[in-house]
Amino acid sequence: MICPRCGDEGAATVAVSPVPGVWEVVLCSICHYTWRTTEPPRQSVRESFPEEFRITPEDIRDAVELPPVPPLRDEPR
Amino acid sequence: MTAIEDLRGFLDALDREGQLVRVGEPVDCEPDLAAAANAAARLGDKAPALYFTLVNGFTNARIVLNAHGSWPNHAIAMGMDRDTPVREQIQEFTRRWDDHPVAPVHRGDPPFLENVQEGPDVDLFRVLPLFRVNEGDGGFFLDKASVISRDPDHWDDTGRQNVGIYRLQVKGPNKLGLQPGTIHDIAHHLRIGEERGEDVPVAIAVGNDPVVSIVASAPIAYDQSEYEMAGALRGSPVTLAKGPLTGLDVPWGTEVLLEGVIEGRVREFEGPFGEFTGHYSGGRAMAVIRIDRISYRDDPVFEHLHLGRAWTEIDYLMGPATCVPLYQQLKEDFPEVVAVNAMYTHGLVAIVSVRPRQGGFARAVGLRAMTSRHGLGYCKVVIVVDEDVDPFDLPQVMWALSTKVNPDEDMVHLSNMSILPLDPSSSPVGVSGKVVIDATAPVAPDVRGRHAHPVRDHPDTDRWLRWLRERTKER
Ligand SMILES: [Zn+2]
Repeated sequence: MICPRCGDEGAATVAVSPVPGVWEVVLCSICHYTWRTTEPPRQSVRESFPEEFRITPEDIRDAVELPPVPPLRDEPR
Repeated sequence: MTAIEDLRGFLDALDREGQLVRVGEPVDCEPDLAAAANAAARLGDKAPALYFTLVNGFTNARIVLNAHGSWPNHAIAMGMDRDTPVREQIQEFTRRWDDHPVAPVHRGDPPFLENVQEGPDVDLFRVLPLFRVNEGDGGFFLDKASVISRDPDHWDDTGRQNVGIYRLQVKGPNKLGLQPGTIHDIAHHLRIGEERGEDVPVAIAVGNDPVVSIVASAPIAYDQSEYEMAGALRGSPVTLAKGPLTGLDVPWGTEVLLEGVIEGRVREFEGPFGEFTGHYSGGRAMAVIRIDRISYRDDPVFEHLHLGRAWTEIDYLMGPATCVPLYQQLKEDFPEVVAVNAMYTHGLVAIVSVRPRQGGFARAVGLRAMTSRHGLGYCKVVIVVDEDVDPFDLPQVMWALSTKVNPDEDMVHLSNMSILPLDPSSSPVGVSGKVVIDATAPVAPDVRGRHAHPVRDHPDTDRWLRWLRERTKER
């Protein structure tokens, strides 16, 4: 499936509704966006997804670490 | 005072007091659940909790929202009369805070052992009815769960065991993103673990004794135990159980217990998420949690929180506990401090009432608030008022601002001060100007203005107030 947020085509179903056939939850392996198939188009359809919330590969590449990974301690363990 | 033992006890108490609305009609996960909680916040400061039991697509969902989201609900959580005025709730909260520490008790056979998922069977989506809170959120989050961790260098020191509420993004059946703000205790635990090149064990308790949630969201000192503080605030020890996988101390009555590790030296794109500042934050690479075991009660209740533009449930949850440490630290240096209201966005704005000793005293107190432990990252605007102004009564505060402040001289402006990075107005991120607004009447040798003859409340007002309260109660 196409991720509404980053446009990657590899998003996959991670959950289905306990009542069969009502909805699925889909997860994008690139930007980790998650949505339910019954959500409004602004959250579930690429073309309708708001510009302000879209994510590009550069956004992911340039994301600042929070908190930064510290150096390992010198002494061997 | 009989303390509430778990989330179910809290829901029963809310129900008895008419503060629980059961929504039996079918609702959609999105947008109904978050929209309903958003609406409850707009009902005002006496809003009820919402309990949903018929959610489309689920067979057995039980979701509670806005459980702490009003002053009556906060009072009920604390075992006070539901109609206790806000200022009295904070006073009682402060009084009990001084009873710290009240040691927890340990008990076996916790009800969360009724059901278990382990290893490859772990599936957050099958246990929790997860849903989106705000439209720009990067996914489904846990935002009201208590996260328990210890200092890896001092594993047996439970005083350094931390219980905190942090945002957790669900990123897969057994994976969560974690935002450990750099000032938070869990970030300290993570740093030590990562310096050692290790994963950091973690337990996440979803759906708890309401006082545990209050304490988990409070800015208490690093070497203080949240559970000992919760015991003090409840007026009786908190009952704990051992997490079966991690050995961490967890609330005995918790609905759903997730256990696993923060994966050492791993960061991954997270968010955004609509935060308590009423703005989205995200687009950063944050820590990752792997869940290896889920333990849960029969028919677990998912306790969750909607947050957005203030006020929302999180302001009631964090507000009182934000006032107390600031009040105590100021009081230690200045016994003339009467009350502190730091409930606005976790204390970005704070109002302090004082009995000024001499000219310049009030602004000194305001500056001290900014150099307190919590004030370092908050207290962007500190308003100082006289003791006869109730800082919890905003019209009174506005009166003081209206009549006591000469902007030419009563603003103490500081540049390049430290602020929490989530403050959307900070520039660069984490740095901000700050201001003390001295809204007290000048006292000698400061002789500015004409404040010598304020009109005071009539001496008989209190008697009539009590009479009127009784009279209007009867109707
Ligand atoms: Zn994506």
